[in-house]
Amino acid sequence: MESLNADVLMALPEVFMLAAASVVLLIGLYTGRASETLAYVLSLAALITTAVLVYSTSASSESFAFGGMYLNDPLAQAIKLFACVTVAAVLMYARPYLQQRARISAEFYALGLFATLGTLVMASAHNFVLIYLGLELLSLCLYALVAFVRDSRDASEAAIKYFVLGAIASGMLLYGMSIMYGLTGSLDLAGINAYLAQSGANRIALVFALAFIVVGLAFKFGAVPFHMWVPDVYQGAPTAITLFIATMPKLAAFVMAIRLLNYGLQELLADWQQMLMVLTVLSVVFGNVIAIAQTNIKRMLAYSAISHIGFILLGILPGTDFGYAAALFYTVIYVLMAAGTFGVLILLGDREREMDRLVDLKGLAKTSPWFALIMMVLMFSMAGVPLTVGFYAKLYVLQSLVYDGWLSVAVLAVVMSVVGAFYYLRVVKYMYFDEADDVFQVQPSGLAQAVLSVNGLLVVALFIFPNALLNYCVQVLG
Amino acid sequence: MLIQSTVFYFFSAILVASALAMISVRNPVHAVLFLVLVFFTSAAIWLLLEAEFLAITLVLVYVGAVMVLFLFVVMMLDINLAKMRAGFARYLPVGLLVGIVMAVEMAVILSRPAFDLQKPQAKPADYSNTQELGELLFTEYIYPFEIAGVILLVAIIAAITLTMHKRTRAKRQSPARQVSADRAERVRLVSMDKE
Amino acid sequence: MKILCLIIVLAPLAGALIAGLSGRSIGRAGAHWVTITGVALSFLLSLVVFKQVILDPAASMSIDVYRWAVLGGLNLKVGFLIDPLTVTMMLVVTFVSLMVHIYTIGYMHDDPGYQRFFAYISLFTFSMLMLVMSNNFLQLFFGWEAVGLVSYLLIGFWYTRESAIHANLKAFLVNRVGDFGFLLGIAAVLAVFGSLDYLAVFSQAPGASGQTIAIAAGIEWPAMTVICLLLFVGAMAKSAQVPLHVWLPDSMEGPTPISALIHAATMVTAGIFMVARMSPLFEFSDVALSVILVIGALTAFFMGLVGIVQNDIKRVVAYSTLSQLGYMTVALGASAYSIAIFHLFTHAFFKALLFLAAGSVIVALHHEQDMRKMGGLRERMPVTYWTALIGTLALVGFPGFSGFFSKDAIIEAVHYSNLPGAGLAYILVTAGVFITAFYSFRLLFLTFHGESPDRGKVVGRITESPAVITVPLVLLAIPSVFAGLFIGPLVFGDYFGDSLRVLDHHGAVAELQSHYHGLGSFIVHGFQGPAVWLMFAGILSAWWVYRRQPTIADLGKRKLRLLYNVLFYKYGFDELYQGLFATGTHRVGTVCSSFGDRMLIDGLVVNGFARAVNWCSLRVRNVQSGYLYHYAFTMILGLLVLLGIRYL
Repeated sequence: MESLNADVLMALPEVFMLAAASVVLLIGLYTGRASETLAYVLSLAALITTAVLVYSTSASSESFAFGGMYLNDPLAQAIKLFACVTVAAVLMYARPYLQQRARISAEFYALGLFATLGTLVMASAHNFVLIYLGLELLSLCLYALVAFVRDSRDASEAAIKYFVLGAIASGMLLYGMSIMYGLTGSLDLAGINAYLAQSGANRIALVFALAFIVVGLAFKFGAVPFHMWVPDVYQGAPTAITLFIATMPKLAAFVMAIRLLNYGLQELLADWQQMLMVLTVLSVVFGNVIAIAQTNIKRMLAYSAISHIGFILLGILPGTDFGYAAALFYTVIYVLMAAGTFGVLILLGDREREMDRLVDLKGLAKTSPWFALIMMVLMFSMAGVPLTVGFYAKLYVLQSLVYDGWLSVAVLAVVMSVVGAFYYLRVVKYMYFDEADDVFQVQPSGLAQAVLSVNGLLVVALFIFPNALLNYCVQVLG
Repeated sequence: MLIQSTVFYFFSAILVASALAMISVRNPVHAVLFLVLVFFTSAAIWLLLEAEFLAITLVLVYVGAVMVLFLFVVMMLDINLAKMRAGFARYLPVGLLVGIVMAVEMAVILSRPAFDLQKPQAKPADYSNTQELGELLFTEYIYPFEIAGVILLVAIIAAITLTMHKRTRAKRQSPARQVSADRAERVRLVSMDKE
Repeated sequence: MKILCLIIVLAPLAGALIAGLSGRSIGRAGAHWVTITGVALSFLLSLVVFKQVILDPAASMSIDVYRWAVLGGLNLKVGFLIDPLTVTMMLVVTFVSLMVHIYTIGYMHDDPGYQRFFAYISLFTFSMLMLVMSNNFLQLFFGWEAVGLVSYLLIGFWYTRESAIHANLKAFLVNRVGDFGFLLGIAAVLAVFGSLDYLAVFSQAPGASGQTIAIAAGIEWPAMTVICLLLFVGAMAKSAQVPLHVWLPDSMEGPTPISALIHAATMVTAGIFMVARMSPLFEFSDVALSVILVIGALTAFFMGLVGIVQNDIKRVVAYSTLSQLGYMTVALGASAYSIAIFHLFTHAFFKALLFLAAGSVIVALHHEQDMRKMGGLRERMPVTYWTALIGTLALVGFPGFSGFFSKDAIIEAVHYSNLPGAGLAYILVTAGVFITAFYSFRLLFLTFHGESPDRGKVVGRITESPAVITVPLVLLAIPSVFAGLFIGPLVFGDYFGDSLRVLDHHGAVAELQSHYHGLGSFIVHGFQGPAVWLMFAGILSAWWVYRRQPTIADLGKRKLRLLYNVLFYKYGFDELYQGLFATGTHRVGTVCSSFGDRMLIDGLVVNGFARAVNWCSLRVRNVQSGYLYHYAFTMILGLLVLLGIRYL
């Protein structure tokens, strides 16, 4: 019993988040306007408190709970902190959007919190079972969120596609895990690693299991060729939900990749490197090339997300600590940029229609110069232009590649970023050099606008001070 | 040993055959019934592994609850089979090809001696599989067990949020309003000129 | 100390950002209060730092604030080197900047770009502080470019005037030439020393003096000479030395406070400061020092001459600035770094004073700048007159005024220098004294004395400027008189400590030092040389020509037609550059643009590539059919690839 208390104490952030999510859910029973505000405030408070709890559980080294299933280390702490902050920002962005369409209820917040809980579980998972459960918890919430606006045909279609494909991917992941269990006799990451290190298990069978696990990972990331859900879901879901899907789950996917590939299957480095290389090359090429042909901005951003995912995986590819740190850096920066970009789209949309065609951005510099400026900064950052932090994100990943001798892949990535710059700059062109077809009325929403401004400024500020974040990433993954 | 193998292959053959049948029969009700058969045979194979609890749960939950519900849904929905199968012939060659490649790959890889772990010893007859599972779930695996519970909770929330329509035009009574109604609300006195 | 330095640098930046970004909401008064507070804070804290460093020489230190990035083992950082040289510059920059801020309230009173102006000058203060406080070449370059940028913005402040746009473009382009050299210099430093940190580079300098760099196949030059010459090219553009001086007179298109702050007191001295800061490098190249000496002397003499024939009051002061910058450069060439900085120090005060006085006149005359239309302002504007007189006396080097000490020291130092070219330089700078006195008093006489040609019309309504203009004048006049008294400690004492390094065989300052026996004897000694007498001769000639016999001026103009024209057209530098570089480059550019860029690059490479990618993109897009089973099928295929990639 003693030990259980200590275990629960260590998992306090998760326990608290679960309790908070349940409370928010219960509040939803009392319908009406006030309950929505209450749920909103409570959710933000819960996220902040969880972040504080995470921060206060010192994790300078690795410490385990629940018989080695729960791992608390700097990486887990970092992912949890980023996730809480991200979700808080997402809620602040999403609220005015959903409110405007009178589609918000306490369940939305509850689902958001449960999804965060899923990420927390994954961040600390040191066991196949927990990784899978965390992933399912997160994914289930996302499926529900996509379909959250029931009367939208697009959203329902996207949700069904997401759900079915997600189920297939989970099945594959689970299959791979079970074979891995059968081969190594352990579900524990350290146990698997130890088994692989000391005995020359049948490599072919291991690779077989590995392939299925990598498929599960790649689907979660949305890497080509497991990316098909990404454009449809990004486009079909309400923009606020797209914002959610585009940001926080990327952190979860990253930590899942590190836990599986680095902690559990490090011995199979050479094998998964080959698989990742296929995924990264395809993602970077297809993501960037197809994005050019898009006319819907959300769809374009979906393909851009795929190419960014390629870059994150490129950081993981060399299997070095610096590479992992670069990938984490990239992930965090991507989350920051995606949040800002979709934030702009959310704030620009109005009750009647979504702001989702590229041409809708025409003349934005005249109608709302501040948004246009932020959007331009974000686009530059996504393209990796200096003076924005996106430049560093790409630079570090490429550096880690070159250090480890992946020169040709690095060159390809650079070429493809140049291709990518085209569609980012096209957005800037629309905003600054074209006349507006019709005037967009921007809905002022104080808090969301403030968050957006901070978001945009961070992109620039981190260019001036990239080292603080990079050092943190290196330290976390050192 | 021989009997065990015979039983295993017997059930396996039925399992594979009924699984194939399930995806190829024309009538959806038949497909569901084949699925039930798949579950039954899988349960039988689990029994061979001395996993009695899981085997019985599979039958009770999946066959007893899930599949019955499924059957109701399938029978109530009017599914146009001809339309659904329109592409079947067209995609069959590609599908077959991929399926065969997959099967070959799996066969090549898994045909070699892979699972070289020690085979667990058979337990004595009075060994309670159910009790062991329960003990594990509530001690060692308490954390994943709770998380699994949360997943189910989320599934319930999701299902309810997505399906429960709050009909705005539905006619229902509001006792509070009925009680608090007063005369002025209900009766309006008008004075009119005589015709 | 680190916090202190950060506040000093960031306070003006904060002021600039607030005034620049929310200028409309905080209003005009808000803009000047916030920026003045920032700069005043910098100034006060600079005083604190100054006190600490001067009282305790050990307080000099190199502080690394932040490591910005690491590129292949090369640390790019932000840091401060705090030593006597730095604190002197900090004090000068913040003080003059503060005065100019206050003055601007009056000068720009009616301008619609009020807030923008304050944001710019505060931004300038920030950039200049970054430049002087840097402890590495990269940050120096950042500051260098930043002050250039702000200067560009401010010259073109009245962007509706075509001449202003032309002037700022010119300043920008000429500075580009210098920056090119400067950047190459920094690259050479990196190549030779493998570091960009001042202290690391300086400590290796003696060892590197024997190295050579191949500048072309088979031609090896001493590394130090190459580095120093390249760096000096940067200094030439920024400090407006012949032949890269052409932008400075035109920069007078900007508002007068800018001319005082940027184009007289601070930014243009960045080149001087930089060479002094790099003295541990320059000392190892006699060739570079010789070049500096000669260029400085040429600038000092010939630019002064041009000043005589100018009629625009600000242009006269501008040419005088060029000439004085020449003097500083000469001092650098003679290895008299401390004297150069000393002249920079005194010049900052009296030249800012002269500019602001000129500005005061311009404001009073409703933006009339032609001296020929002025006259007789002495009674109307007494404060401006007396402060301008003080500034002029300091400029010409009247014994006892600040300029006397610094300029006389320079002339003496050149006298003692033994580098090739020192003889020529000595003649030029000595003759320059006469010229300086002549054009300075010409300005004074034409503006303040005599009768205005159209007195009734303009002068009648003229009154003294308001206090926000006159107070800075008075405050600047005080150091203009007394700053010279610091010559003892500053030049001959141990004031600069290790921050300036002079090798033993460049002994000009040491020689001077042995003759120095206090202020009084320095003044008396001054009368024994030709300089002081030439100065008096200059004043007298000016008085004779412009007060006593005004006809002489016209007569001279007619008799010396050729000389007058040469001077009036400023030796034809502008025409030469316009004809050779501007037009020539434009032609080459047109050809490149029409053939190379539009046809080859745009047409074939860029657009062709773009079209190819677009084509692929449209094709590949069709894979995304929207059918669920296609998606699932793709996933299965992907799985097969992953399975197969390793073994099949």
